[in-house]
Amino acid sequence: MRKKPVGKLRLRTITVLSVTLAMVVAVAISIAVFAAVYSNTVRQDASVSASQTVEQTEAAVSVRLDDMKDKLTTIGTMVEAYETVDAFRTRIEALTAIENEIFAVTVYDADGGILASVGSGYALKESPTRDLSFDKALYEGSDGFILTPPHVETLYEGIYPWVVTLAIRTGAPVFGSGAYIAIDFNFSELAGYIDRVGVGRHGYCYIVDSAGNLVYHPQQQLIFSHLRNEDTSKLSSWEDGVHTDGNVTYAVKTATDSRWRIVGVSYIDELVADGRDRIVLGICVSLLCCVLILFTVLRIYSRIVSRPVRELADAMKRFESSASDFHYTGGQEIVTELHTLSESFAHLTGRVRELMEQVREEETALRKTELKALQAQINPHFLYNTLDSIQWMCEQGKDAEATKMVGALAKLFRISISRGHELIPLGDELQHAKSYLIIQSYRYRNQFTYRFDVDESLLSYLCNKITIQPLIENAIYHGIDRMVDEGEIVISVHEASDNADDILITVSDNGIGMTEEQCRKILQKEKSDSGGIGVKNVNDRLKIWFGERYGITLQSEPDVGTTVTVRIPKVTEEGERA
Amino acid sequence: MKRIRIIALFLVVFLAALPLSSCAGSGADTPKIAVIAKATTSDFWHAVRAGVEAAAIEYNASVTFEGPENEEDYEAQNRMIADAVERGVDVIVLSAIDYNQNAAAVKLAVQHGTKVITIDSNVNSDLVSQFIGTDNYEAGIAAAKAAVASPTRDGAKIRIGLVNYMSDTANGQKREEGFRDHIASVGDAEIVASVTAESNAESATAGAKELLLAHPEINVLVGFNEWMTLGVGNAIHELGKGELVAGIGFDSNVISVGMLESGEMDALIVQNPFAIGYLGVRNAARLAVGDSVGDARISTAMTTVTKENMFDSDIQKILFRFT
Repeated sequence: MRKKPVGKLRLRTITVLSVTLAMVVAVAISIAVFAAVYSNTVRQDASVSASQTVEQTEAAVSVRLDDMKDKLTTIGTMVEAYETVDAFRTRIEALTAIENEIFAVTVYDADGGILASVGSGYALKESPTRDLSFDKALYEGSDGFILTPPHVETLYEGIYPWVVTLAIRTGAPVFGSGAYIAIDFNFSELAGYIDRVGVGRHGYCYIVDSAGNLVYHPQQQLIFSHLRNEDTSKLSSWEDGVHTDGNVTYAVKTATDSRWRIVGVSYIDELVADGRDRIVLGICVSLLCCVLILFTVLRIYSRIVSRPVRELADAMKRFESSASDFHYTGGQEIVTELHTLSESFAHLTGRVRELMEQVREEETALRKTELKALQAQINPHFLYNTLDSIQWMCEQGKDAEATKMVGALAKLFRISISRGHELIPLGDELQHAKSYLIIQSYRYRNQFTYRFDVDESLLSYLCNKITIQPLIENAIYHGIDRMVDEGEIVISVHEASDNADDILITVSDNGIGMTEEQCRKILQKEKSDSGGIGVKNVNDRLKIWFGERYGITLQSEPDVGTTVTVRIPKVTEEGERA
Repeated sequence: MKRIRIIALFLVVFLAALPLSSCAGSGADTPKIAVIAKATTSDFWHAVRAGVEAAAIEYNASVTFEGPENEEDYEAQNRMIADAVERGVDVIVLSAIDYNQNAAAVKLAVQHGTKVITIDSNVNSDLVSQFIGTDNYEAGIAAAKAAVASPTRDGAKIRIGLVNYMSDTANGQKREEGFRDHIASVGDAEIVASVTAESNAESATAGAKELLLAHPEINVLVGFNEWMTLGVGNAIHELGKGELVAGIGFDSNVISVGMLESGEMDALIVQNPFAIGYLGVRNAARLAVGDSVGDARISTAMTTVTKENMFDSDIQKILFRFT
């Protein structure tokens, strides 16, 4: 696993967090909006439907009350025409037989004494326990129509129907003044109607009087036994219309004669709860969708955005650590910006690699040119000394020696000036070294001897020109020159014992040797002490042409001698290694 | 890492699907309820039916109401229970004719996944979800108190005759037990004799007359259900003992209320059949949608009705039903 930089967030983490947050917020907002709209709609629907139901009920009740009043008015008018009670009674008996709604017609005197009573063929009790149809306070306190609450008919033998009594004062001469004519209307039909009115899913209707007392409630038996409580105390202060009290909606409508009010009760909570299942279902579905969408989006996003970005970042990191051998091929990205970025990066790395290559080549070329320029230089001191020696030989008449010297010098220079070829056969290089040694052995007469130990089979392999001569020069100046005794320089060429593809050339002397410090200095010397090509120059050239594995190693011990080893590959054609 | 993410995804999907499936399971159907009564003709059962219908409208339930023609035909009831289970009702509301003989059918119904609520009279089974009815023992005590307070007491001593119906139903037994226990705790009252009749007015009248003729010293006669009460009232009326014997009864109908007004009966222990029917269906509807209905037993109130209070505005509401 890659290391995460401290305090930084991965792109993927940010993506997941932000998308999740966005989803959650979106779902939460939509649920809240939906719930609010739903709840509001339900409430509105509930109140509209409740008020419609109550208006219909009120209309039915009002029609019934009006009908009752019409009948009472008819009988009230009728009674005026009768001269005897019996004639009236006969007429009423006929009427109650055909009018199902009328249970009984009773005429009271001012104190509730029954002057006449006819009840649908039933016998009037001789002494009724109570008469619920007559309420003196109510009768005296009313103008016009008198309406009692529903009650049980108590005046007739063997029957106890529920009735409401509608009464009116009558001035009929047959009953005298102050009499009331009262009709007991069957209430059961109206009660059954009220019972069947359902408001909403779980509501009902009931009737109160203008003071808020219950007139009829479908569950009055429950209210009586305290199994249900109907709080009607607020009703008297409420206008007609829809009122909400807590979770309960009351739709109130006053009947046209304004004595009774119809109240419809419905429970909004239950209506809302009814839709709760659907809401829960909706939430579940939307959550599920959200999760699926989230997952899909993240997969796609990861594929097209975050993975390519991560890959690009990784590539950049790799590029950072090793620019030279870095290869990048992008261009698989789908997102335009990333594609451009990736292309640019690929282009950039390619260009950087090209430039680095170019710089290296140019550097090498420059070095080569520089080194060649150095090689081409003729050491004027060396030339002067040699020519001086030759002059001296000529003056002494040592023609043979002079000839040999001139020959050696000529060979030396021929190799030096062989332009265009850096690599020359090892044989030629050894010839060059030999020429140099011939010249130097005149200069340092009797100071050293030299010998070659060469594997003849290796002579055709190529070698940088002027490789051995600087080493010999070094051996003479630092090893032999300051010796008291005669020194010896040995030049050997052999195949390397550790690698059959390599050749080892060694130049060893038995001179005064060098310290480690001196060895290091020698290897850093650009020019030799005599102004010729330095050891460093030789080493650099070997490495440039053949590689880092090749070059010069120095082994030296004070008072024992120095051995310089040159390792080169077996090369037969120039340019094979470069 | 990736696998964990996939597992987490499935977990989330699963959790999301869980309430989904439960939503689909509990549809907002109307609860189907079968009310199986002891009888359908008496005033008591008419009032129960009125309560049943009130609750059916209020709770939007689909309710059937049925009962055997003969109030002792528990086999017919067992068939009705089996039929209701067959129809796939959610809850059966049962008033058991026989405490023991109806138990097997109830057990079978519950085993088929149909819940059972008993009203008015219970059945010998602990698989019943709830019993709703009058506390009959308490009703018996109330009858005993009415007897002790009766105006016909002969000097200091109250001599009581009992008219009860077939001894297998729990209601009559409990009422008699409560009655006897209370009388035993009262010093100046004794139960002189008792008779068992079939649960109809004729048999009860004959039994009561027999009892009164055999034990003329009886000054309080008690009938333990609607029909026994009529029997008591008829016997007192036919023997012309309205002034000498106080009639105490249970439940009410037009005739027994008339007897109360005319003096043959002195007190009626009136249950609240509307409330029994209403609560039975209300709680059945709650059971059907998986709500809890509270205690295993709900006692509905009873009221002692006398000539004095019978026309009080509250009492009339339970004594006289809307036809």
